Amino acid sequence: MLRKKRCVAMLLAGGQGSRLGILTSHMAKPAVPFGGKYRIIDFPLSNCANSGIDVVGVLTQYRPLELNAYIGSGAPWDLDLSSGGVFVLPPYQTGASGTWYKGTANAIYQNLAFIEQYNPDYVLILSGDHIYKMDYAAMIKHHQRHEADATIAVRQVPWEEASRFGIMNTDADDNIIEFEEKPKQPKSNNASMGVYVFSWDKLRQYLIDDEADPKSSNDFGKNIIPKMLADSCRLTAYTFSGYWKDVGTIASLWEANMDLLSDRPEIDLHDKQWRIYARNEGYLPQYIAPGAELSRCLITEGCVIEGSVTHSIISTGAVVEKGAQVIDSVLMPGAHIGPGARVVRSIIAEGAKIGAGAHIGQAEGDIAVVGINVKVAAESSVPAGAQYEP
Amino acid sequence: MSDIMGLIYTGEADTRLRELTTHRAIAAVPMLSRYRLIDFPVSSMVNSGIRSIGIIMQRNYRSLLDHLGSGKEWDLHGKRSGLTILPPFLTKDSVGVYEGFLDALRSNLPYLRSCTEKYIVLTNSFMLYQADFDDMVEEHEKSGADITLMYTKEKGVRRSGQGKYCEVQPNGQVTQIEVDPMISRFENTMMEVFCLRRELLISLIDLSTSRGHYHFTRQLLQAGVNDGSLKVNGYECKSRVWAIDSVEAYYQCNMDLLDSANRASIFPEDKPVLTKLRDEMPTRYLPGAKVSNSLIADGCVIEGTVENCVLFRSVRVGKDASIRNCIVMQDGRIGSLAEVSFCIMDKQSAVLESTRLIGAANYPVMITKNRTV
Repeated sequence: MLRKKRCVAMLLAGGQGSRLGILTSHMAKPAVPFGGKYRIIDFPLSNCANSGIDVVGVLTQYRPLELNAYIGSGAPWDLDLSSGGVFVLPPYQTGASGTWYKGTANAIYQNLAFIEQYNPDYVLILSGDHIYKMDYAAMIKHHQRHEADATIAVRQVPWEEASRFGIMNTDADDNIIEFEEKPKQPKSNNASMGVYVFSWDKLRQYLIDDEADPKSSNDFGKNIIPKMLADSCRLTAYTFSGYWKDVGTIASLWEANMDLLSDRPEIDLHDKQWRIYARNEGYLPQYIAPGAELSRCLITEGCVIEGSVTHSIISTGAVVEKGAQVIDSVLMPGAHIGPGARVVRSIIAEGAKIGAGAHIGQAEGDIAVVGINVKVAAESSVPAGAQYEP
Repeated sequence: MSDIMGLIYTGEADTRLRELTTHRAIAAVPMLSRYRLIDFPVSSMVNSGIRSIGIIMQRNYRSLLDHLGSGKEWDLHGKRSGLTILPPFLTKDSVGVYEGFLDALRSNLPYLRSCTEKYIVLTNSFMLYQADFDDMVEEHEKSGADITLMYTKEKGVRRSGQGKYCEVQPNGQVTQIEVDPMISRFENTMMEVFCLRRELLISLIDLSTSRGHYHFTRQLLQAGVNDGSLKVNGYECKSRVWAIDSVEAYYQCNMDLLDSANRASIFPEDKPVLTKLRDEMPTRYLPGAKVSNSLIADGCVIEGTVENCVLFRSVRVGKDASIRNCIVMQDGRIGSLAEVSFCIMDKQSAVLESTRLIGAANYPVMITKNRTV
C-alpha cells in the first residue's frame, strides 16, 4: 500500500526541443547542461525537493537515455525514497496497442494509474525547459485559499512581448476570466509559465473527457484550460515575480547562462535555503594554472584553466589550454579548447574538442554552436551563427 | 561479490597536528579543496571492488560521522554490505579507550567474526596515497605469505623518530622491521596497510591480546618476523605517498599536490576519489581576480589575487586582497586589501580587511576554526 500524498508532481520532459538545434540531437531538452554544473531539469527537481514534494513523475519520450541515466535513483535531489521519489515514465504498450504521448494532457492521461497510486489531493504539472527557483508549496497554498479547481502560475512580461505567450486575463481577485494563446492585441501581460496546480478529482475527469474527444489535440493550453474556463470551473492565477527564463532556443540558453555572470545575478545560486542540486561525478577541484587569466566567469569542478577566460561559463571537466581565449561563451561539460584557439560568443557542447588555433564564433552576430563530441580541426574556423556538426 | 573487506583505524592521536585535530579525528582533516583524508582510503577500497568497509573510531569522531553518513557517496549504503561504523563502547572487557590498534581490533572481534569475506585489508587513516587493494590481495595470495604489508621507497615520508621501516628481500619477503628509529637503516617506509586472511587475523588478535599485547607492529608483526612464526611479504605502493603527521607535513602535502604530476599519481582517471557533497554553485571570478597555480573548490567568490593556494568550498577573497601559499578551508573569508601568506585558515575563519598575516614556508601560521583575525 502506498501512502496517500497531498501532491504529486508530473514533469513534462518529453519534448525534443528542436529549437536548440544540435544541442538536442543526442538528448532531450531537460538534460541539456546549464550554468556550469547543472542540467535544466535540476531546477524543477530541486524546486520540488525544496517545496516538500516527494513524488515526481518525469514523462519522457524523446531520446530518454541521458535523462534516465542522469535522474538515476533520484538521490541527488533527495528523491530516492521508499515512500515516493522520482519515477521516469516513458509511454508504454497496453494490450493490443500502445501510443506515444500525443500531447501534454495525453501524457498525463496515460499515467492516470501512476498518479492514482498516491490518491493525491493536487497534481502539479511542470515543464522541463525553464530556469527558475519557485516555491510550489506557496502556489498550492494559493490554490487552497482560492478553493480553485486549477491554478496557473503567471508572470508579467513586457507588453511588447505579450503576444508571444499564453495570456491570462484576470479579475481583481486573481480569478482567470479569459485565456488567450498568443493574442495579437493582449489585454494583459500575465503570461502563463506552464506551471499548473490542479485539484486531482477535477483534472482526472477532464483528462478522461478530453481523451474521449477525437477532435482534441490533448494539450493543456489548447484544450484542458479553455474547456475548464468554458465550464465555469474556478481558475486562479498565481503571480510569480522571481527570475524565470525559458531556455528553449540557442539564444535564450546562452543569455540565461550569461545572466549568471552579472554582479548580482537575478537568480542566486549561492542561496543555502534553496539549493539547486545536481548529480556530481567526483571530479577534482578546479586547477587554475600559472599564466591563466580570468575575468568575470564561473568555473567548476574538474576544470583545468591555462588560458584566458572572459565573461564565460566553464562547465565540469572542461579544459582551456595555454594561449586559448574563451570570451562570452559557454563551455559544456568536458569541452576541450586547444592551445591558442579563440572561442567567442559560442556554445561548445559536451565533449567537443577545439583544435589548436581554431576560431569559433565572432564578437558580433548569432551564437555559434559546436555539437556534442565534435572535433574541430586545428586552425579551422566556425563562423557566427553556425551549428557545427559534420 | 568481492571476497575482500576493508577496515580503517582512525584512532591515531598525533599532537603534531595541533589545532587541526582538536575538534576532529585525523581521518576527518580537510584535504585538497574538497576532500577529507578518509576519502582516499575509502575511495581506493571502493575502486578496488571492496563493498564492505568497517571504520574504527576512537575520539573526536563527530565530524567524521557527519562526513561518512550512510556511506551513500561511496555507494556503501547497500543491504548486503556497506559501511559499518565502529565507535568505542564500554563492555566488561573494554573501557572504550583503546590501548592500541590491536586492542581496538580485539574490541571489534564480534564484527570481524560476523563478516564473511575471505580477506581483510587493514589501513590507518593518516596516509594519503592511491592503491589497488585487489592487486595487493592477489599478490598476497600468490606469495603464500601470512601477512602482506604495503611500503613505499619514497624518502622522507615520516619524520625522525616516527615511522616504521622494513627490509624487503628481492623475493618480497620482509626480514626485519624497525619501529620509530631516529635514523632508519632500511629504505622502505611501512604504510601501516596490511592484508591477510580474516580468519587468521581473528586468531592472531586472540593470541596476542590474551598475552597482553596491544601494539600491532611491534608485538605482533615484528615479533612474528623475528621468531619466524609469521611469513610477512612486502607490496610496494605504486602511487606517491604522504604521511599527514604534523602541521608542516599537512601543509606540504597540499602544496605538493598543486603539481599536476603529483595529482595524477593519486587521482588516476578511472578511479575517482569520492566525497560528501555540498551542492555549491560553480566558483565566481569577478573583475580583479588574478589566480595562478591554485586548486579551488566550488562556491568561492574571488575578487583578489590568489597564488599557490588551496581553497576549499565557499571561500571569499575580497577586492584587492592577496593570498599566497595558503590553505583556506570551507567558508574562509579574506577581507578586501588583506594580505595573507603561508597560512592555514581552518573552517569558518576570517582575516578582516587590510590585515596582514605572513607566515613562513617551514612554519605556516594556523588560524583556528571560527577565529577572526
